[in-house]
Amino acid sequence: MTKMIFKRLLLLVFVVFGVTLITFILSNIIPGDPASMMAGQRANQETLEQVREQLGLDQPILTQYANYMQGLLTGDLGTSIRTQKPVLDDLIIFFPATLELAILAFFIAIIIGIPLGILAAVKKNTFWDHASRIFTISGISTPVFWSGLLVIFIFYGVLGWFPANGRIEMQVNPPTHVTGLYLLDSLLSGDWVAFQSSLRHILLPAIVLSFAQLAIITRQVRASMLEVLEKEYFRTAIANGINGPYLLIKYGLRNALIPTITVIGVSFGALLGGAVVTETVFGWPGMGKYVVDSIAYLDFPAMMGFTVFISIGYVLINLIVDLSYYVLNPQIKE
Amino acid sequence: MMKKSMLVLFSILFFVLAGCVQNSNAPSDDKGDGTETADGQGGEKEILTVAMTADQGTLDPAVTMDNSAWKITYPAYERLVEYDGESTEVKPGVAKDWNVSDDGKKWTFTLNEGHKFSDGTELNAEAVKASFERTLAIENGPAEVYSVISEINVESDYVVSFELGENFPPFLSTLAANYGGIVNPKVLEHEKDGDLGQNYLATNTMGSGSYELTEWKQGEYIKLSINKEAKVQPSIPEVYFRIVADGATQRMQLEKGEIDIAEGIPTEQIESVKSMEQVELLQKPSLLVDYVYVNSSKGNEALKNPKVRQALSYGIDYESMINVVHQGYATPMRGPVPDGLWGHNPASFQYELDINKAKSLLEEAGAKDLTLTLLYSDNKTWWETEALTIQANLKEIGVDVKLNKVAYATSREMMEKGEFDLSLGVWSPDFGDPYMFMNYWYDSENLGLAGNRAFYQNEEVDKLLRQAATSNDQEEREALYYEIQDIVIEEAPYILLFQKDFVLPVSHSVKGFVYNPMLEGIYNLAEMTKQ
Repeated sequence: MTKMIFKRLLLLVFVVFGVTLITFILSNIIPGDPASMMAGQRANQETLEQVREQLGLDQPILTQYANYMQGLLTGDLGTSIRTQKPVLDDLIIFFPATLELAILAFFIAIIIGIPLGILAAVKKNTFWDHASRIFTISGISTPVFWSGLLVIFIFYGVLGWFPANGRIEMQVNPPTHVTGLYLLDSLLSGDWVAFQSSLRHILLPAIVLSFAQLAIITRQVRASMLEVLEKEYFRTAIANGINGPYLLIKYGLRNALIPTITVIGVSFGALLGGAVVTETVFGWPGMGKYVVDSIAYLDFPAMMGFTVFISIGYVLINLIVDLSYYVLNPQIKE
Repeated sequence: MMKKSMLVLFSILFFVLAGCVQNSNAPSDDKGDGTETADGQGGEKEILTVAMTADQGTLDPAVTMDNSAWKITYPAYERLVEYDGESTEVKPGVAKDWNVSDDGKKWTFTLNEGHKFSDGTELNAEAVKASFERTLAIENGPAEVYSVISEINVESDYVVSFELGENFPPFLSTLAANYGGIVNPKVLEHEKDGDLGQNYLATNTMGSGSYELTEWKQGEYIKLSINKEAKVQPSIPEVYFRIVADGATQRMQLEKGEIDIAEGIPTEQIESVKSMEQVELLQKPSLLVDYVYVNSSKGNEALKNPKVRQALSYGIDYESMINVVHQGYATPMRGPVPDGLWGHNPASFQYELDINKAKSLLEEAGAKDLTLTLLYSDNKTWWETEALTIQANLKEIGVDVKLNKVAYATSREMMEKGEFDLSLGVWSPDFGDPYMFMNYWYDSENLGLAGNRAFYQNEEVDKLLRQAATSNDQEEREALYYEIQDIVIEEAPYILLFQKDFVLPVSHSVKGFVYNPMLEGIYNLAEMTKQ
C-alpha cells in the first residue's frame, strides 16, 4: 500500500508537468495580449512594450515556461496580472471557500443520494422508484444558473429564510482562522454567531451544487444495489433469517458501494471544478469566481495557478478513492 | 478497533484545538456580540451599501486604468484639481490656484495648507512631486497619460511646477482623473523588490481623501471608513462595496433594503425597479458613446470610398436601435463629441435612416453585393442585439453583414491589427476635453486600439487636430474642433449610434449624490448623506 501511495505521488509530478505544459501552450496560443488589458484601452506601442517587459512576456515562450516551472518548484506561482499579488496568496484566500462549499455539497449528495438509491432499488418499479427517477433526471438536466436563481428567488426573495449571497454576514467577524473553512473554524472556536451565519450562507449554494452529483450517485447506487439484490449470497442471507437495515447495509450496500466509490470520487472532483457557475450565481468568494474574472482579464499566471491547484486536487482525490477500495474490499489487500 | 481509536483521536484533537482557538464574535469584543445579524446593512444610517458586479483588481492609482477600480480609489485620494459638481470643468482641489506660462509648457500650482494623508503625513509640494514621479517610474498606463511631463520642481513648501515637453492644454483636465490621485510618499516604506510599493497599494490606500480602505474581503466586499485626518469629514461613517454578480439578486436586495445603490441591474430589468416605492431611478446622459468603426483603410476595399461609408450611416435606423437595444435609455448622437462635454456642436449634421439615399450612394460608388464582417465580443451585454439590428438594417440597403463574435481579448487584438470591416465599440473620456474624442479617434498617429480604430487617414484633419491640441485658447480650440467635426461627419469613418444614458437605482434614503459624467460609477461620498 505504501508503495502504491509512493508511486501515485510520483505520478503527480508528471501530471502537474503535463498539465502546466498544455495550459501554458494553450494560453499562449489564444489571441489576446495581457499587456494591453493591463495598460488600458488606449495604450500606445511604447507603453505596451514596457508592460510586456515588466510581465516577462517579451521573452520566448520556452524561456517563459522554464521560468514558470522554476518558480513552481519553489512554490512561486507568479504574480497575478489583475490583482498584482502573488497568485499563491490569492488562491490561498479563495481555495478554502471553494473547498468548504464542495465538501458540504459532497456530503449532501452522499447523505441523500445513497439512501435514495437504496430505496429506489428495494422498491423497484413502485411509486418511490419513479419519484426518485424524476428527481434525479431533473437534477442532472437542470443547469445550475437556472436552479440557482430559482432557489434564490424562493428562499431569499419570497420566503426570506436565507441570504442571497456572500459567505457570512458583513457585521459578523469571520471565525478565527484555523483551516479557512468557516463552519469548522467556528465550531473550533465555539463561535455560534459565526457558525449560524456561515451555515445560513452556505446551505443554498451547497444544495444547488450537490444536485447534479446527488442524481448521479443515486442512479449508481440503485444500479449496483439491484445487481447485489440478485446475488446468491444475498438470497442466502435472507434465507438465514437476516433482514431489515442490517441486511441491506452489511450484505447489500457494502458490496454495492465499490463501483459507487469511483463515481463518488469523480463527483468530488466535479464539485470542485463545477463550483465555478454556482459561485458566480451565489456570489460565493471562491476560486471559481476568481478564475472566471482572471480569464476575462487574460491573467495567465492566475489561470495557470488555478489549473495546477485543481489538477493536484484531482490526483489526490483519485488516490483517496483507490485507498478506500482497500478498506471496503479486503481482497484487494492481498 | 482501529476505527474506534481513530475516532477517539480525532475527537481529542478537535477539543484540544477548540480550546486554543479564540472566538472572534465573543461578547467581550468591542464590536458587539454580533447577534443582530440580519443582512440589513442598507437600512442603517451609518452604513452605505453599494452593490457592484465584480471584485476589483489592483487599486494603485499609478497602475490601474480600470474605471471600475476608481470608485474605491477616487474617494481615498485627493487631486490637485477636481471636477466641479456635474460639470466637466475643473475646480481647485489640493491646489488653490494655478497658472500656465504663455507657451503652455509650465504649469505652476499653489497648494492649500493643512491637507494630510491618513497617517498624518502632510501633503505638500514634495509629496506631489514624489507621487507623480512614482507614477512615471512605474511606466504603466497612467505614465503614458503623463508622458508629456518632462520635469517636476518644488518651488517652495506649497508651490509645485510641472515642465511639459510640449504644449498640452488638456493637461489640467488629466490631473482631475483618478491617476492624478496624490499618494503618500511613505508608500516607499512598503517597497518590495523595487516595486515602488505596487504590491502594497494593490490592496491598500494611502491617500488624503475623505475615506480610506479599511477592509477588503476578496470576492465579498470592500469597506471604506472615514480618514480621520482628512480635511473634509463626511457624514456616512462606513461605505461597503458589496460584490453581487447577479443582477436579479441585486434587484431583490434593493427591494428588501439590504443595499442602497445597485449598479448591476441590466436595462431589461430596470422597468421593474421603477415600481419600487423606496427607490429612485436616476437617469442622465453619459459620455459613454456606442459606435461602429468602419475600417477605412485596412478593411474591405469598398470602405475606402467615403460614399460607401456614408451609405452605411444612412442605413441605420437610429431611433429603433435606441428603443430595441436600450429600451429608450440612450440619446442620439450629434457629431463625435457627446452632449455634456464642451466642443459638442448641437448644430452638427446627424445621419438618419434613408434607405433610398443609401442605395443610390452605393450605386454611385459601384459597390454591388457588398459583404462586410462585423466584429464584436461579449464585452457589452447589449452588443448581441445591436449586432443583429445592424445586420437587419444593412440588409435593407443590400449590404450583407456577416457577424463575427469573438472573445473580448481576441477582439482587441483584431482591432489593433485592423482585421475587420465593421466593429462595435464604446468609448468614454478619461479627462474632460474634446481632445479625448477628436484627437484619439481621427489622428492618423493613433491608428488601432490607441483610438483611431477606423484606421482613418486624412492629412488635412491631422493638421487641424494637432493645431487644436496645442492652442491655449479654448475658443479657438472649440472653433477648430467644430471645423474638424464637419469634415469627419461627411467622411463617416464611424457610424455614430448613441450616447448611453447613465441609469442608477438609488434608495430614497441616500441624499446628495451628484452625477458627474466624467466620473461615471464614482460617488461623491464626502458630500452624500443617509437618512
